[in-house]
Amino acid sequence: MVAIPAPPDRQKPVDWLMDKLLSGQGVWPAVPAILILVIVAVIPFVMLLSLGFSDFSVSRGQIIDQTFSMRHLGNVLTDPLYWTTFQRSMSLALSTTAICLLLGYPVAYLFLIGGRWTRRAILIVTIAPLLTSGIVRTYAWLVILGGRGVLNNALLGMGLIDQPLRIVNTHWAVLIGMVQIHLPVMILPLIAVMSRHDRSLEEASANLGASRMGTLRHVILPLSAPGIGTGAALVFTLSYTTFVVPQLLGGGNYLNAATMIYEQVVYSLEWSKASVMSLLLMASCLVVLVGIALVTNHFTRWTRGRQG
Amino acid sequence: MTLARDLSLASAADAAQVLRIDKVSKRFGTFTVLDDCSIDVSEGEIVTLLGSSGCGKTTLLRCIAGFLTPEKGAILIDGRNTIPVPVNRRPVGVVFQSYALFPHLTVEGNVAYGLKMHGVPRREIARRVADALASVSLRGFETRYPSQLSGGQQQRVAIARVLVLEPRVLLLDEPFNALDAKLRGTMQVELRELIKRLGMTAIFVTHDQEEALTLSDRIAVMRGGRIEQVAPPDEIFDRPATAYVADFIGLSNFIPAEVRDGKVTLPDGQTLATEAQGPVRVMIRPHNLRAIPQGPGPWQGQVRFQRNVGPLIEYTITAGQSDMHVVALRRDRIRPWGEGDAVSLEVIDPEFCKVYPEA
Amino acid sequence: MRLPDRLAIGDLLGTATIVALGLFALFLLVAPSVIVLIISFDTRAFVSFPPQGFTFDWYLRVFEQRVLVEAMLNSLQVGITVTLLCIILGVPTALVCVRGQFRGTTALSIFVLIPHMVPGIVLGVAVLFAAAAIGVSPSIGLQSISITVFVLAVMVRTLMSRLQRMDPALEEAAANLGASPFQTLRTVTFPLLMPAILAGAVFTFIEGFDNISVAIFTHGFRDRPLPVELLALVQTTNTPLVAAVSGVQIVLAIVALILVASSIGLDGVND
Repeated sequence: MVAIPAPPDRQKPVDWLMDKLLSGQGVWPAVPAILILVIVAVIPFVMLLSLGFSDFSVSRGQIIDQTFSMRHLGNVLTDPLYWTTFQRSMSLALSTTAICLLLGYPVAYLFLIGGRWTRRAILIVTIAPLLTSGIVRTYAWLVILGGRGVLNNALLGMGLIDQPLRIVNTHWAVLIGMVQIHLPVMILPLIAVMSRHDRSLEEASANLGASRMGTLRHVILPLSAPGIGTGAALVFTLSYTTFVVPQLLGGGNYLNAATMIYEQVVYSLEWSKASVMSLLLMASCLVVLVGIALVTNHFTRWTRGRQG
Repeated sequence: MTLARDLSLASAADAAQVLRIDKVSKRFGTFTVLDDCSIDVSEGEIVTLLGSSGCGKTTLLRCIAGFLTPEKGAILIDGRNTIPVPVNRRPVGVVFQSYALFPHLTVEGNVAYGLKMHGVPRREIARRVADALASVSLRGFETRYPSQLSGGQQQRVAIARVLVLEPRVLLLDEPFNALDAKLRGTMQVELRELIKRLGMTAIFVTHDQEEALTLSDRIAVMRGGRIEQVAPPDEIFDRPATAYVADFIGLSNFIPAEVRDGKVTLPDGQTLATEAQGPVRVMIRPHNLRAIPQGPGPWQGQVRFQRNVGPLIEYTITAGQSDMHVVALRRDRIRPWGEGDAVSLEVIDPEFCKVYPEA
Repeated sequence: MRLPDRLAIGDLLGTATIVALGLFALFLLVAPSVIVLIISFDTRAFVSFPPQGFTFDWYLRVFEQRVLVEAMLNSLQVGITVTLLCIILGVPTALVCVRGQFRGTTALSIFVLIPHMVPGIVLGVAVLFAAAAIGVSPSIGLQSISITVFVLAVMVRTLMSRLQRMDPALEEAAANLGASPFQTLRTVTFPLLMPAILAGAVFTFIEGFDNISVAIFTHGFRDRPLPVELLALVQTTNTPLVAAVSGVQIVLAIVALILVASSIGLDGVND
C-alpha cells in the first residue's frame, strides 16, 4: 500500500514562486509587461508630446537639434486646411458611427429573438470579416463600386442608368466602405449585452401589455445602452483614425486627418506637423469618447449599485 | 504493572485522537473570524461545524485544510502540528461546496489526480481508482466528464477523489448545498454510512441543523467565531448550553422569569430548581407544552394559528403578551384545537426546561 | 385583453422594418467577400463582374510573386512573434490583475488595456519618432513589439474574463490532493486557461499578420509586411491578383474561425 508520503519536504523555489503567482502575491509577474508598455507606449507618447512642442530636424531618419517651440501647434491651429480636414474626419466618423448603429442594432435584435442556428449564423457572419484584413475588405468595395464594378454593371443592365455612376473617389464611397468595415465592431458589443438579457423580461413586458415595438423601445433598448456606448466608442475611434479606407476609396485627393498624418510622416517628412496632428487627433478623439461615455453613463444609471 | 497499564491506556487515548484543534484564532484585517476555538476529534468520529453564515465554520475548515493560516493556536493531526505543513502535504481530504471537479479531466482522471501527484505507480493507480469508484458505486462512469454527471454523481466523484488518498481527516464543506431537497436526505444517510463503513474521521460544515442532526456523532455550534457548545445531537437538542444554541437548534419558547430562593416559577405554577440568579429566561420546547381545555389554571391562551405537519400539529397560542409554540402528536380520536379556541397551557415536564441568565 | 388592431399593424410594420434592416446589414457584411472570391477565379486580366470563365491561375500567380510571398512570410513572422509575446506577457499579467492581493490591480489592468484604445496610427507614429530619437531604425522587431503593445490588451482581457469565472476551489482542490503549486499550474490552471489562450492567440496572430495602422510606420524598410504590400498593390494594379490574395486571406480567416469555434465555442468569442 502506498500511503501518503511523509510531510513536509521543504518547498522547492519554483513552487514557492508559483504559489506567489497563483495566489496573487506581488506585482512581479506583471513587471515584464509593464516595462514593455512603458518603453514602447508611454515613453514614445511622451516623446510625441515633446516633439509636438519643439523645433527639430530629421536627418537620416534621426531627430536632431530639438528645441522647445509652440510654432507648429500655432501653424496647424491657424491654417484653415487643417480645420477642414479635421472637420471632414469628424463628420465622416460621426456619420459612420450613426449608420453603423442604425444597421447594427437590428442585427443584434435578430440575434436576440433568433434561435440557436440564427444566432450562430449571425456570429459567423459578424466575426469572419474581423479575421480578414481591412485592405481586403476595402478592395472588395473598389470592385463593387468601381466604374465597371458590380453595382454599375447591375444598374446598367437593368437600364436604370445610361452611363456608369462615379462613386469611387467620392465621399459616398468612403462612407459606404467605412460603415461596412466597422459594422462588426458595432454589432459584437450589442450582441454581448443582449445575450446576457433575461428572456423573462420580454415575456413580462408582453404580459403587461406591451407590443413588440413597445418592448423594444422601453425594455430592450434601455437595457442595451451599455453595448451601444461600447460599440459607438469603438466604431468612432476606428473610423476617426483610419487611413486605409479613405486612401483606397477616396482616391489620392480625399484627405482626412489620418491620411494627412500618413503623408506627412512617410512622404513629406513634416514630422513636427505630424506630431501636432497626432496629438490633436488623439485629443479630439478623446473629447468625443468622453462625450459618448457621459451620455452612456446617463442612460445606464440603473447599472450602478445602490447609492450611499 | 499498574504504571504500564496506565501508560498503554494513555497512548491508546492519544491514538484515538486524530484531530486536535487547540485555541485557534484567525483575523481578516481587524475582523476576528475565529476566536479561541478548540475541538478534539477522535478516530472514526463525525463532527459537524454548525452555524449561520459568517460564524467562522468555513474559515475553521479552511484552516484545517491549510488554505488559511491561523494567527494563534495549533492544529494537530495524529499529534503533529500541521500549521507549518504546506497544503499539498497535509493528510486531509476536502470535498468542496462546488465539488471543484476538474472539468477538463474525466471521472477517472479526477480520482487518479491525487495519486499521480503523490507519485503512486501507474498500476497501483488503476487499482485504487477502480476500488474508490466501486466504493461510491460509480463503476462504469470512468470516461465521463464531470459536466455529463448529475449532481449526486458529481458529489460521489468528489468524495471518491479524496477517499482514494486515504486521508486521516475528511473535510466536507456544505456538500449537499448543490443537491435538490429530495436527494439531499437520502445522500446524507448514504454518506454517513459510507464514512462509518470506511472508519473515516470526518468534519462537516453546514448551516442546516437537520443535516447536522442526521450526520453527526457530535455537533459544534459556532457563533461569531466562537464555539458555543460541542456535544452529541441529542444533548445539543435537549440540553443546549446557551440560549443561542437553544434558539438556533429547533423551535423554542423563551419566557422571562425571576429566580427566588434558587427556584423559578413557571407561568402554569410549577416550579423548577436552578443555580442561576436574578432575572432569567426559561426555555420550553414546543413539545414540552400541552394545550388543555380551558380550566382554572393560571396560564390562559387563545389559539391564533394551527397547521398540520404530517404526524404533528403545530399551534401558535397567544398567552398574555407573547406567542407560544406548541406541538402535539396527531391522534385519531382527539379533535385538534381550531383557530380562536380558548385553552389553558401547561408544561409537561419542568425538568426539560432550561434556564439561561438574561442576556 | 386584446390590443387594438391599429397598434398591431404598427407593430408588424416596425418589426418588419427592423428585420429588413438587419438582413440588409448581414448581406452587407457577407457580399463583398463573396464577390471578391468569385472574381479571384476570373480568367480576364482586369477586374469586372460578372466573371467569365474559371481558373486557379491568379492563386498560382500569387505564389510566383516573390514580393508577395516574402511579404506573407514577414507577416507570418510578425504574427507568430506577437502571439508568443502576448502569451508570455499576458498570462502572468492577467493572473496579477485578477488574483492580485494588493491595491492597484484595477489601475494595473487599466494601464494594460489603454494602449489598445489609443488610435493605432498615433501609437505607430509615436513609436517611429521615439525610435528615431534614439537611433533605432524600423524593423520586423520594432513592428512586432509595437503591435504586441497594441494588442496585449486583447489577450489580457480574454484571459481575465476566463480567470474571473474560474472556480477558485479548483486550485485549492489540486493542492489538497497533493499537487505542488507548480503542478497545480501545469495540471489545472493552464489547461483551464487554454481555450482563452487559444482564442486570444487567434486574434493577436491576426492583428500581427494584418495590422496596418501601426505596421505602416514601424515596419522594416526592406521587410514589408503583407498589408503594406497589399495597400501598394491595390493602388497600382487592377488585376484579379489582389482578389486572389484576398481569397487566400478569407480562407485563412475561415480556418481561424473554425479553430476558435471548436476550442471555445462561438459564444466564447464574444467576451
